[in-house]
Amino acid sequence: MELKNKKWSQEQFFKVREEILNHWPTGKDVNLEDAAEYLKKVPEHKSFPAKLKKAKEEGITLAQPRAGVALVEDHINLLTYLQNEGEADLLPSTIDSYTRQNRYNECEVGLEESRKAGRSMLNGFPAVNHGVEGCRRVFEAVNLPLQARHGTPDARLLSEIIHASGWTSNEGGGISYNIPYAKSVSLEKTILDWQYCDRLAGLYEEMGISLNREPFGPLTGTLVPPSVSNAVAIIEGLLAAEQGVRNLTLGYGQCGNLVQDVAAMRALEEQANEYFKMYGYDVYLTTVFHQWMGGFPQDESKAFGVISWGSATAALAGATKVIVKTPHEAVGIPTKEANAAGIKATKQTLNLLRGQRLPMSKELEEEIKLIKAETKCILDKVFEVGNGDLAVGAVKAFELGILDIPFAPSKYNAGKILPARDNNGAVRILEFGNIPFTKEIKDFHRSLLEARAKVENREVGFQMVVDDIYAVGKGFLVGRPNL
Amino acid sequence: MSKTIILGVIGADCHAVGNKILDRAFSDAGFNVINIGVMCSQEEFINAAIETNADAIIVSSLYGHGEIDCRGLREKCEEAGLKDILLYAGGNLVVGKQDWSEVEKRFKEMGFNRVYPPGTSPEIGIKDLKNDLGL
Repeated sequence: MELKNKKWSQEQFFKVREEILNHWPTGKDVNLEDAAEYLKKVPEHKSFPAKLKKAKEEGITLAQPRAGVALVEDHINLLTYLQNEGEADLLPSTIDSYTRQNRYNECEVGLEESRKAGRSMLNGFPAVNHGVEGCRRVFEAVNLPLQARHGTPDARLLSEIIHASGWTSNEGGGISYNIPYAKSVSLEKTILDWQYCDRLAGLYEEMGISLNREPFGPLTGTLVPPSVSNAVAIIEGLLAAEQGVRNLTLGYGQCGNLVQDVAAMRALEEQANEYFKMYGYDVYLTTVFHQWMGGFPQDESKAFGVISWGSATAALAGATKVIVKTPHEAVGIPTKEANAAGIKATKQTLNLLRGQRLPMSKELEEEIKLIKAETKCILDKVFEVGNGDLAVGAVKAFELGILDIPFAPSKYNAGKILPARDNNGAVRILEFGNIPFTKEIKDFHRSLLEARAKVENREVGFQMVVDDIYAVGKGFLVGRPNL
Repeated sequence: MSKTIILGVIGADCHAVGNKILDRAFSDAGFNVINIGVMCSQEEFINAAIETNADAIIVSSLYGHGEIDCRGLREKCEEAGLKDILLYAGGNLVVGKQDWSEVEKRFKEMGFNRVYPPGTSPEIGIKDLKNDLGL
């Protein structure tokens, strides 16, 4: 199939669908009419689009954890605990890493071993193996909207199963679930496969069922410059809208400098809406802010400091929801108690800041302007190399390093750009690779990094980047020498 | 003579940041680093070790499935003729916060020479490796 940013025909979609539902035995239990009937009965308080809309209108920020374990009963226990004790507003089901690679046989091993060991041997919920039956049991046991959160390059069968089970949101995208999550899967393939997932959501939309789609904003979560992640988010938003998605949440991962983070969120929402309007898409847009995605302090009290800082930024930026970290972040997958503690710390901060926004200042205005200008440089070039086709342009742009995500594992990513913090902790770019910024913008980044180097009495260089990666884990935002 | 090590992230794990930092740290310390990147099978580690006549295999795992992914690696190394090759593992090796001494014991029983908890600085692994190789 030739990749184009064009809505799939019914014929195209159903031809692929027949094959997808045969990838694993549980696929045969997915029936579109039955699923539509089931989804139509989802009450408003368990619908992602409805709850997000209400939050946006009321100007509040919702808190959502990440969570998932191998077995259905244990997963239900975990989610109901996060709902009742953790006071979560929205629920996830984090999908395990084997499912993300479509290795359903290995999930079976993990399920078997989890039963034997009495603890989860998988790092998430293997939704495909559990099928519609298991996923509906989870949905029916909770009282909040449910979303699949994963990192799956080919999520076609997974998406079919979760939507048919009443889960009204799906995270992911053809770029954001490939470049940071895969090593050798081509972008043509993941963009096509995510067009399928988007078309599926679009199809339900046409049947009068609103489903939410959320491209994964933070990418590698490691010093990603705001304009780079915003450009990817806007591309994935436009690709989804073309397939008929009408309810979108675009995201951004906290970098750590308050002014830059608030600016990034405002720039993202405003610029995405401008592009949707320009291309004639009718999209209801909400935003998600991810608490710090990089290395965390081991000490749990210190981790709460990081969590609360992210919560404060999310509130002041006016994000519709915030994705919550836990005090166990530095050591791996949290217990349910630690997970609930993270949500409670988050909600306390959000509640204290309810209604407050970071007021406009000269610094904030300048930062918004800079991020928008950089994002436009990238997007203009993507459209140009694709001869006007955004899907083709995205693939070419990665080949040429016009789109380039720092620290990504994919061989389809150039990996030429190198970010580092300026003296105030804002993420700037040290080596630009082929990112198509103007000379003026590049000089501005350089001058800010030089200013930091001068304070630290060292040269601008790779050591700064390494120091910045470790800094938050050691308790600081900027990686100064001799921390 | 410079010693060769195989560096990689095992299983379906795509955590790339630490891998890039370890690559640089071990290279700077004078090792010949063969970095096979993220999402590597046991066979990829072993094949790389045979091809390059490596002195050690350094396995990272950040996503919690390390226990399943690493099981049997020592036996496969022996079958492949890699007798007594040094095996190190480090990262978030198991699902959840577990008692470290238990985790270490489990991995040592699997045949790993050294096992490192999360957040270990690269310098510690480098120092141990130099010791173990008699450098």
